[in-house]
Amino acid sequence: METLVRLSFYCFAAATIAFAASALCYVAYAIGRVRLRQTTLATNAGTTMVSHEASLEPASLGIGRFATLLAWFGVAFQVASILFRTVAGGRLPLSNMYEFSSTFVLLAGVVYLLFERWYGVRQLGAIVLPLIVGMCAYIWLLPAELREVNALIPALQNRPLMTIHVSMAILAYATFAVAFAAAVLFLVANRWQVAWLPSPDLLDDLGYRAVTIGFPAMSLVLILGSVWAYRAWGTYWQWDPKETAALFTWLIYGVYLHTRSLRGWRGSRSAVILLVAFAAVVFTYFGNYVFGGLHAYGGV
Amino acid sequence: MTHASVQQRTLQSRALADIVVDRIWRFFCSVRAAVVEIAILALLVLVGTLRGSSVPQAIADTFPVTAPIVDRWYAWDVYRSLPFAGILTLLSVAIAVCTINRAPGIWQAIAHPSVGTTHGFLRNAETSASFAASIPPHAFAGQLGTALRSKRYRVLTEERNGEVHLYADRWRFSRLATFPFHLALIMILAGGIVGAAWGFRENEFYIPEGSVRELGHGTGLHVRLDDFSEVYREDGTALAYRSDITLMRDGQPVQSGSMTVNNPLTFGDIVFYQSGFGQAVALKIEDSAGQVLFDDALPLGPFQSRLNPDSPAARIDLLPAGVALSVVAPDENPANAPELDTLQLRPGQMFFMIRPLGADRPIAEPIGATVSQGDSIQLGDLTLTFVRERRFSVLQVARNPGIPLFIAASVLLIGGLAITFYFPHRRVRGIVSTTTDGSVARLAPIARRDWSAKRVFERLALDIGRQLGIGPELHVNEPASALTGSRQSVRPSL
Repeated sequence: METLVRLSFYCFAAATIAFAASALCYVAYAIGRVRLRQTTLATNAGTTMVSHEASLEPASLGIGRFATLLAWFGVAFQVASILFRTVAGGRLPLSNMYEFSSTFVLLAGVVYLLFERWYGVRQLGAIVLPLIVGMCAYIWLLPAELREVNALIPALQNRPLMTIHVSMAILAYATFAVAFAAAVLFLVANRWQVAWLPSPDLLDDLGYRAVTIGFPAMSLVLILGSVWAYRAWGTYWQWDPKETAALFTWLIYGVYLHTRSLRGWRGSRSAVILLVAFAAVVFTYFGNYVFGGLHAYGGV
Repeated sequence: MTHASVQQRTLQSRALADIVVDRIWRFFCSVRAAVVEIAILALLVLVGTLRGSSVPQAIADTFPVTAPIVDRWYAWDVYRSLPFAGILTLLSVAIAVCTINRAPGIWQAIAHPSVGTTHGFLRNAETSASFAASIPPHAFAGQLGTALRSKRYRVLTEERNGEVHLYADRWRFSRLATFPFHLALIMILAGGIVGAAWGFRENEFYIPEGSVRELGHGTGLHVRLDDFSEVYREDGTALAYRSDITLMRDGQPVQSGSMTVNNPLTFGDIVFYQSGFGQAVALKIEDSAGQVLFDDALPLGPFQSRLNPDSPAARIDLLPAGVALSVVAPDENPANAPELDTLQLRPGQMFFMIRPLGADRPIAEPIGATVSQGDSIQLGDLTLTFVRERRFSVLQVARNPGIPLFIAASVLLIGGLAITFYFPHRRVRGIVSTTTDGSVARLAPIARRDWSAKRVFERLALDIGRQLGIGPELHVNEPASALTGSRQSVRPSL
């Protein structure tokens, strides 16, 4: 088992490197390249004038493709990492912040790459991939003992519900991360009119589509969490801080969907709500550090 | 007062009532009001969530001036407060009213949509497609209808001023999915109310091994804990906590079974959950006349003794004897705060202490003594026997008739969301007009600032063109086309 755990960690290290390199390429691709032109003019008087001009141009498609390739490498390594850990523990790695975040890194990568493929938008990677790298850094900073595979405590011994409930949470957070990236890029594209960024309408739609996956997933998190709570604690809602933080996040995305579908809010206003909603996701994700309550065992 | 003035006054008051009802109705139907209500609910949930965290304390530590506010924050049970109940009620009413209000419009759009459109709409649409054919408009509209139907669109046509107006839509019934979703939200709240009103819940049902306790709540049930066991893995981590219980009615066993965390025991609609466990002490107490006042086990844990706050302890009021008995067990972790342990008990020992209770005061001062397992001691007029150490289990017991509502609501909620998001109502309008060469059709989706709907339409236009053998001309107004990214008219190759 120890060998498998070590292999899993090595694969995670390789994934981190691939994601970091991919993030750099995506950022370079999104920013474009600065072209410096020097013009020398000869005057009638026999003197010369030199003028310098800098312009921003789209990056080469090659760097974008390379970024995507590296991101797929990262995903492949992370799949191997999760696989080794699953075999070592006899269950999907979902029971503490190390395992949860590792699986999040994988799903965020997969969800992003699928959206990149569906919409043909690579610039989004300039925001999502740095987020993934940030999560990798967070995992590296976690206490080393969390890298060990530990047996489940009795409260978590409900494999089907734990697998679906926690996986849905990770899927929801991953899609919300993509929606957040679309919102940020929308605000940039809308503000500065950069020619090679995707059209604001496309980004607006992409953010919405991501939420249409994340919101039902988040609803399932709340419902399955309630079912599990009823099975383990005898009540389907305990007003536990982690539960209510998830409810808070769900409500904010509910506001986003209502304002969009019923009041026709599109564009900047919707994008700003997505930013606030993602702040709620971050709050829910890392809430274990400040919450007590029934989810405290999932802390670190 | 004349008959006419009475009639006028009645009319005025009725008009006023109508205005009030109309305003209230409009308030509940207002999306803006609903968004504000959800935002307030979210804010209250946030306040409640932070109350269960260390954040308020951190604020008070950083800004001492906020300490009184933070104290009130911690003291405020948000979820049982009037504002929280109020906003939930308001939202529930708004959902119900809004749903009723929207129903006719949605049904109209599904069953009787308006077919006619204008050239202005088609010209200004963000994306549209033109098809030319050398056949009369009616025949061409028929061909377009067949092509659209093959894509599972419903097609309606109408003749106006020599032109054929066309309306096509797909997944029209998905618009109804908003109703199960919103109904589910109300059902979840209703489930909570039903559970609270007609169910019961025991959060801490203490029961020592070998003891029988009455469940109450009109169930007529008694619970006996036959055995409690903890199972550990080789590495010392807990694998399971298990209680074996027997349920009895009228002294007769009606069901026996085990429960562990995550595997409750069900009897009818009553569910028993494993919640906790601890140390208990079996004792026998007799008075000076030899009458047995207590012969049972006492859970040690719910009570904290000042003699050693770290130790498991219990207290029981012996009303016939006019005293309260406290029992303190040895410290489970002597290394932790040893200065608090004034008793220094060894394993196998218990400290018993009685103190006067009520006005009779059979003893003047508290009397206490350390007793070993199996020994008896005289305290005042009482003879106390420390029979043996035992375990106790803490169960949660609940009956929640709101659960079926909750389950049904969950299915409706997820189903409603899935249909709304993944089967959106797609609509296309068009006009087929006569030209010198035959006819021309211009189609456009109802998809303002909807990139996906535009992309679906552009693909549909290409498919129809391919099916009819006509190259459609795509017209794109600002913003950019979903497929081409162009801002001009383009004629894609087939």
